[in-house]
Amino acid sequence: MQRSYINALYKLMKEDKNVISCLSDSGTDYDEMIKREMPNQVINFGISENNKVAAASGLAKCGKIPFVYTTNAFLAYRSYEFIRDDVCLQNQNVKLIGMGAGLSWSTLGSTHHTTEDIAVLKVLPNLTLLSPCSPKELESALKCAYEIKGPVYIRMGMSGEKEIYDSDVPFVLGKNNTVKEGTDGVIFVTGSIIAKVLEACDKLTSEEINLKVVNISTIKPFDVNSVVENSVLPIMFSVEEHSIVGGIGSSIADALVDNNINTKLVRIGLNDTFAKGYGTHDEILKMNGLDSESIYNKIKKELLK
Amino acid sequence: MNIEEKLLNIRKEIFLTGYSVSVAHLASAFSIVEILYSLYINKNMKYNVEDANDENRDIFILSKGHGSLALYTILKEVGFIDKKTLSSFCKPGSVLGGEPCIPYINGVEATTGSLGHGLSIATGVSLAKKMDNRNEKVYVLLGDGELEEGTIWEAIMFAAHNKLNNLIAIVDCNKIQKMGSVKDIMSINSWKTRFEAFGWKVVEVNGHDVEELDKVFKEENKEDKPLVILANTIKGKGVSIVENDPRWHWRLPNKKELKVFMNELNISEEEIQKCKEVI
Repeated sequence: MQRSYINALYKLMKEDKNVISCLSDSGTDYDEMIKREMPNQVINFGISENNKVAAASGLAKCGKIPFVYTTNAFLAYRSYEFIRDDVCLQNQNVKLIGMGAGLSWSTLGSTHHTTEDIAVLKVLPNLTLLSPCSPKELESALKCAYEIKGPVYIRMGMSGEKEIYDSDVPFVLGKNNTVKEGTDGVIFVTGSIIAKVLEACDKLTSEEINLKVVNISTIKPFDVNSVVENSVLPIMFSVEEHSIVGGIGSSIADALVDNNINTKLVRIGLNDTFAKGYGTHDEILKMNGLDSESIYNKIKKELLK
Repeated sequence: MNIEEKLLNIRKEIFLTGYSVSVAHLASAFSIVEILYSLYINKNMKYNVEDANDENRDIFILSKGHGSLALYTILKEVGFIDKKTLSSFCKPGSVLGGEPCIPYINGVEATTGSLGHGLSIATGVSLAKKMDNRNEKVYVLLGDGELEEGTIWEAIMFAAHNKLNNLIAIVDCNKIQKMGSVKDIMSINSWKTRFEAFGWKVVEVNGHDVEELDKVFKEENKEDKPLVILANTIKGKGVSIVENDPRWHWRLPNKKELKVFMNELNISEEEIQKCKEVI
């Protein structure tokens, strides 16, 4: 997804000289190339995320559109008060781009994991939260973020995510989209773990269990109607590379309670724990019960109850 | 009215406004009166009362947001806000809180309150001005205790690296923070050497001498470095029992102390009664 981000941002920067790429020693050779071409539109703040976020608020105050890009965990946690006070409270047109959502930084441990960001950021007023699941959807999300006149946060993976959309991406701000139809239940999922969910569903389908898969690419504003509409199905699951505390499962639970709906909801994610182990992204997902096999087993177990 | 009388009246109004709601960071407001006077009343900063968002205006950010009463009182003096608005300070329905907040106060450029944010915001504004080849200046007023915040030093490095010579940081060096003297809490011998070491141009002034402040604000910064003005001030300046006493960071006078305030700020019994009645 990193490549998609750079390409999409490059296009925006070419089209609008007010689009500024803000790095904190977090770029790649591509960023260096872009800086050579558009030196006035790339700023490396050095390793200082907090100053970068607050300064981005100052840039936005003057009509710039800063895209603040860094390791997801450092952005969401270290800079939280700066996101809250300088971006959201002042409703500045700053785009916060977290690179390495969930367990993407699989070998570096929990300091680099971003598994509580949805919980802490979705409570901030004025902030739009986007969680694209594939390279193409990221491009759409980035364009959408540019068009919004206000704070936007995008969490994105960085593990060579698979493309799940064949052609056009049905990305609409604030609307979930159905990736797979089914009648035996529904799985709500956010982010690149959707690929694992679809693999689990393939296996379930071979056993004649057909689950609908709904991609939540806008976490806030949350598509409450999508939850209400799908509550006619026998069971709901949520799958996220995030703590089940405060994640999309919690947002679904809120929607069910607020609408007085009594439907079974099973939340799959990190169960109020930091992720364990080191390895490739696939390996750490497996160690923490979030690979396709584990997801399949958890769903099957619930369906057999 | 001579300048001393004007400054006295500003401190008097700061006190009465805070006293009316029994809420105020009086000492922190008192130490920055002359700095704001020089910038706003003596017009060393460009602003437009008729259009607070005039694109040609200089930008001022009060990073030590708890000095808000001084800023609000000065904004009233120059006409950004009216007396009624100032009198509403911290009362239900008011736009004026204990810390400045955008977008509802004419003349306030940034929401501050949590320390260590304002300088970073100011560097962003300064950089944007540079990118657009604009000539406006960016002023940011910090507390010396605030300099203990780590983000301040991220911003200091960033401003020097980017040669933001349109940025003027003013440090209210009143040498006192909430629990004691800055030196006792964080033994810094010299802000000057620190700022210089970080690549800034440093000027030291008496922060209560308006003429001296005027002179330094008028002087063009010809270096390709950001400028910091270390303004030596007295926390609580203007009321003897408040001056240099950390206990006054967040409190108002009792009955006995009130007599000293009234005497030294030339406040009548009637004005005390009246300020409590204003809605």
